[in-house]
Amino acid sequence: MPPSLRPLRWAWRVVPLLIFGALWHLLSHSGLVDPAFLPDPPKILAALIDLLRGPQIADNLAITLFRAFTGLVLGGIAGVWIGLMMARSDKFRAYVTPIVGGTYSLPKSALIPLFILWFGIGSVTAICAVFLACLLPMIVQTFHGVRATPQVLVWSAEAMGYSQRDILRRIFLRHALPDIMTGLRIALGFSFVLAISAEMIASTSGIGKLIFMYGENGAYDYMFAAIGCVVVVAFLSDRALLALTASILRWHESAVAESH
Amino acid sequence: MDHHPHRTALGLRLRSAATVLIVVAAWEAAARLQFVPTLFLPPFTTVMAQLWASIADGTLFKDLSLSLLRAFAGLVLATLVGVVLGVTMARNRFINWLFDPIIALGFPSPKIAFLPVFIVWFGIYSLSKILLVAFACVFPIVIGSYSAARGINRVLIWSGYSMGASRMVMLARVVLPACCPRIFAAMRVALPVALITTFTAEMVAGGGGMGATLMYSQRFFESPVVFAYIVVMLAIGLVLDAVLVQVQRHVPAARGD
Repeated sequence: MPPSLRPLRWAWRVVPLLIFGALWHLLSHSGLVDPAFLPDPPKILAALIDLLRGPQIADNLAITLFRAFTGLVLGGIAGVWIGLMMARSDKFRAYVTPIVGGTYSLPKSALIPLFILWFGIGSVTAICAVFLACLLPMIVQTFHGVRATPQVLVWSAEAMGYSQRDILRRIFLRHALPDIMTGLRIALGFSFVLAISAEMIASTSGIGKLIFMYGENGAYDYMFAAIGCVVVVAFLSDRALLALTASILRWHESAVAESH
Repeated sequence: MDHHPHRTALGLRLRSAATVLIVVAAWEAAARLQFVPTLFLPPFTTVMAQLWASIADGTLFKDLSLSLLRAFAGLVLATLVGVVLGVTMARNRFINWLFDPIIALGFPSPKIAFLPVFIVWFGIYSLSKILLVAFACVFPIVIGSYSAARGINRVLIWSGYSMGASRMVMLARVVLPACCPRIFAAMRVALPVALITTFTAEMVAGGGGMGATLMYSQRFFESPVVFAYIVVMLAIGLVLDAVLVQVQRHVPAARGD
């Protein structure tokens, strides 16, 4: 598609959203549902503009994003390291497997009450929950990526005189990079879910707390506006990560396959 | 090392067992020797005694069955809606155009943020939780069944039509069976989502279940109950995943042959 047509395609994809918005508008005026519980789109838009002018959304969203991204980065670094170690050392894997296997299927939000007990209400609790939720997919994806490295690559690198350190970094981690990026995308989704969950369960700040507060106070138009902000931010983060992945993995066959 | 593969495998298994023993022993020792206050970390044996007490007086069974019922009801609802929508989107261009932006926008969003909406609309008991679980699970299932229906071998479709199959017969006898393995794979992705959404919704909104009791115990500083319930949730995750692996291995429709 020529670049000049891109805005047109984008607009074409927004049309269905407008249709659903119009249906929503009709529904809230039809009398079938209480309009207090289903505020019509213009009211939500007014609330959104009001929120964007004030500091509530920006401040609370910044707090939530700080919690989500701190946990994501820490979990990502630790996960890659543990996954790499597990793939390269049978002994390390044997020691760690019960812990990874046991906590992999644990719904990580179950640990939030425990973290509240240990760290109180606030950022540490949220970051710990996000960290654990991001850690496990990163471990598993890195592990699979490193394990699948063809032995031929290792032999060639050894023949060309790479040190063990270079082989780890430039062969194993490079080969696992597509899997690591997949893990990062899963972890990104978890980071939002856990940060917002922790804020809804117990917190004094953050977008999760803000949404819940608007719900409890009956300010439903503001509640929908704040939820809309979360949806848009999560969507844009996901797209940004996809764009980053595409540019990092230009050399990989997945990128070649997509351009066809 | 390579000369004794059996001995090595045994050694690795012993190491895995050692980790579990070390964690439990360190936990018990740290709690008994008061390295950390009992409130923050009750001894392992106390937690096990509490677990047994919760099983014996029936509270655990009541909470667990309520949570699992909500999670499964939501997952089943999401599968029904998701498969219908996904397969229709794959076979109808207009429906695809209409729903694709919603799916693209909704898939990466943290569905738990919608919890207050579901509470406002459907109350704090089971209905709001089941519908939130369904809402959270429907996106991966739509995407899974859409790409499954898209990926069906063209030859199967052509043969079906050339043998005179109607559209409904095609759907029931060719399209859906061909999609089964990937729909099942999508359900495997959605199951942990269903569990985490149920537990979190119960923690936030109350209304009974594992999450509500967990939160209630934490507020009253009954740490042994908190730990016992976390242990149960861990076990549930492991058991359900093992069950799905077995289903995938033994049920032809889920395996794809």
